Amino acid sequence: MTESSCPAHGVSRLSKLSRRGLVGGLGAVALGAPALARAAAAEGPSASPSAGEPRPASAYPFHGPHQAGILTPPQRASAFVALDVVATSAADLATALQSLTSVARFLTVGGLPPDDGLTATSWDNGVLGPEVPADGLTMTLSVGASLFDDRFGLAAKRPARLTRMPSFPNDALQPERCHGDLLIQLCAHNADTLNHALRLLLRSTRGALAVRWRQDGFISPPRPSGTPRNLLGFKDGTGNPSTSDAALMDRLVWTHAGGDEPAWVEGGSYHVVRLIRMFVEFWDRVSVLEQQRMIGRDRASGAPLTGTHEFDDIDYAYDSLGEAIPYDAHIRLANPRISTTDDQRILRRGYNYDAGTDVNGQLDMGLIFACFNQDLERQFATVQRRLVDEPLVDYVSPVGGGYFFALPGVRDRSDWLGRGLLS
Amino acid sequence: MLPDSNRCAALARERVDVSITSDERDADRTHGPAPASPPTGRPGLLGTTLPRRRAGRSRSGVAAVAAIVLAAGVLVWRPWHHDAAAVTAPHADPSVPGTSVSVGGTDCGQGWTGTRTGLQRWALVNTDIAPVEVYLRDARTDRIYLDVENLGSGASRAASATLGPGTYEFVCLPADKGPSYGSPRTLSGTTPATVTAPTVPITSAELLVPLRQYHDWVAGRLPRLLAQVRRLDGDVRADDLGAARRDWLAGHRTYETLGAAYGAFGDFDTAINAAPGPRDPATDPQLFGFHKVEALLWSGAPAATVGTYTRALVKAVVGLERAFSAMSLRPIDIGLRAHEILEGAIADELTGRTDAGSHTTLATIEANLTGTEAALRPLRPLLAAAGFDGLPAIDAALARSRQVLEAHHRGGRWAPLDSLGRHARETLDATLEQTAELLSRVAVVTDPRKAM
Repeated sequence: MTESSCPAHGVSRLSKLSRRGLVGGLGAVALGAPALARAAAAEGPSASPSAGEPRPASAYPFHGPHQAGILTPPQRASAFVALDVVATSAADLATALQSLTSVARFLTVGGLPPDDGLTATSWDNGVLGPEVPADGLTMTLSVGASLFDDRFGLAAKRPARLTRMPSFPNDALQPERCHGDLLIQLCAHNADTLNHALRLLLRSTRGALAVRWRQDGFISPPRPSGTPRNLLGFKDGTGNPSTSDAALMDRLVWTHAGGDEPAWVEGGSYHVVRLIRMFVEFWDRVSVLEQQRMIGRDRASGAPLTGTHEFDDIDYAYDSLGEAIPYDAHIRLANPRISTTDDQRILRRGYNYDAGTDVNGQLDMGLIFACFNQDLERQFATVQRRLVDEPLVDYVSPVGGGYFFALPGVRDRSDWLGRGLLS
Repeated sequence: MLPDSNRCAALARERVDVSITSDERDADRTHGPAPASPPTGRPGLLGTTLPRRRAGRSRSGVAAVAAIVLAAGVLVWRPWHHDAAAVTAPHADPSVPGTSVSVGGTDCGQGWTGTRTGLQRWALVNTDIAPVEVYLRDARTDRIYLDVENLGSGASRAASATLGPGTYEFVCLPADKGPSYGSPRTLSGTTPATVTAPTVPITSAELLVPLRQYHDWVAGRLPRLLAQVRRLDGDVRADDLGAARRDWLAGHRTYETLGAAYGAFGDFDTAINAAPGPRDPATDPQLFGFHKVEALLWSGAPAATVGTYTRALVKAVVGLERAFSAMSLRPIDIGLRAHEILEGAIADELTGRTDAGSHTTLATIEANLTGTEAALRPLRPLLAAAGFDGLPAIDAALARSRQVLEAHHRGGRWAPLDSLGRHARETLDATLEQTAELLSRVAVVTDPRKAM
């Protein structure tokens, strides 16, 4: 089992997948992965990819049984945009989802924008120049529980585990930054690609969808190597289940038809997003020793306090009194590494955010915790409850987000996001 | 609005421009379908001052007179119509993608060798000494599939169109000469899934009719506005502040129908309807007009204090009414106004920025919709003649906008903007955004273009 079953609060959540780890799926294996440790050790100090490293793909396939942006190696930039549907009929909702599909289908491949003609303003906003590069763009469209109220007659089609995200102990949720009928997760190698895409997607659905809240995010380069660091200064996301292990993904990530789930959910995934504010001024006034006790890792190397290197195995049998990694350290609470927590692992895909300042002049920054899992209750919520009142809660505060369900993939050019739900 | 001295110059130039454009159209008559007759009376009254966004459309009187003379002979004689094979065309800059095509006055269209339908990509190079505007038109109709303007002398620019079967020709319109025409080229092959949507150029002369109709509509509303603000002032003098609040709303709504968005009334708008700034509008010494009166009426100020500002408001409206008949609207303005009134509502009203205490933002937006419809109405015949297909969607969106607003207008009272629940607020925002999006097409099609 890996540490990835843990995170709900501020730490150790950023997907470990650095760009180098991603392409080969290496980044997903946390424990007992000497190959990864070697790869990490071999990484140079530079943030830019070196000659031997896999480079991120320039484009990711749009069509497939699952949406992109879930197992896709995390691109460096992201935008999370929650929307509400203001269209009043299921037919208009379907039209909006078809529009999102066709715009995303074009943008994720790239090319010359459609002809504007002489009777309309320009379809393209020009932000990416005359010919649109794909730039690793993915759009992942998810639906919230509120979409299944009485407006569109979809109540009987609600994914069985999709609820409105509850307020967990230690949460300080701001209503204006929570929930939504839909969530668009955009990821790309560069922020201008997200800007370009978001404007086109919103424009294509004017009058049908309204933005509810949004937050842009970024992943740092490895500093100096291994898993990227979060804004607390710690490597975050050292363990994630292997995205190249299809059988594992089938058990931990993808939802399946049958049982209490409706047929249309095959190939989807529950999508949790939590906006977690970090009180970095306070955190920076805490000694590194205390920080390390709260996290359970060495800040410089990312190694568990039981070990030497970032990817060293953790065996709590040799630390049964909690003298190396305290019992209430984040990584120990999140993942106690016992057999009964194995099916609680989640696939994290988080991003740092940096959003200006608060009214008291403190910096508003933190983590967009994002994860995918097959069963919200068995996986995310269970882990989250283990972390209640951990010492770290004084330094981080979940302020927004929601529970969503990532729709199954778009099979081909005639398919569209939400077809199984709406037809 | 331009400073006064510039306005005089602009008006003088305008008189020239109006007659020129008419003459151009006359010249064009022998070529295309007969245009609507340009208005004859009051030239310059509805003048084209320098276009705000489209500088470069106006021409000096001298050059334009030359253009009339030359253009008049074009259809019979076409002195600049050369066979593509006859001259070695200068080449567009190699960095510009597409087939190099010359678009000067003497070599218009040279270099285009297209024979097949589908996407055409050109590198247009202006071989003229003057800036040029370039159309690609269907040789059998007035429809154009390309409009490249402001192409400087010697400059190369990429252009493209996706064309179905037919015969097409370039039209080159140098700033100092009449139009010249390239050799028609016939494209054959299958019709592409989507072809470039064409339009029929609408000239400044054609826009004078709707422009005058719109001008007259606004002028016809000004006496009503004046009566309303006088009644407001009378209420305040009589110390009947309840009546004053009702009459304030009536007057303000009338003003908000007039399309004053984006500086159309210049200093008069500042005196009549300036938006509150960051300071308390009741005490801000820089604020005058409706929103000052609003702030005082809704914060319990004594009638004597309010009266200072209602008198000033009456004076400002009197000034606007006197000045309006001489105020020039440009041909480009009316199409812009069709969506800019609503753009202003989205930016200034939906943000709550202009609410100085009356909480009548939704009433203001409803008045803005009336103003939008008034700007659109006289354009409808021209839009229809140009083959514009967007009017049904626009009308549906305008109706839907009214419906969404009216849901918050009950028992003669408009709900305060901030009393709307989240879903209602999102619906209002999204509906107005969609309406503005659709209306923006009107400005594209009615952008004044040169006669071919």
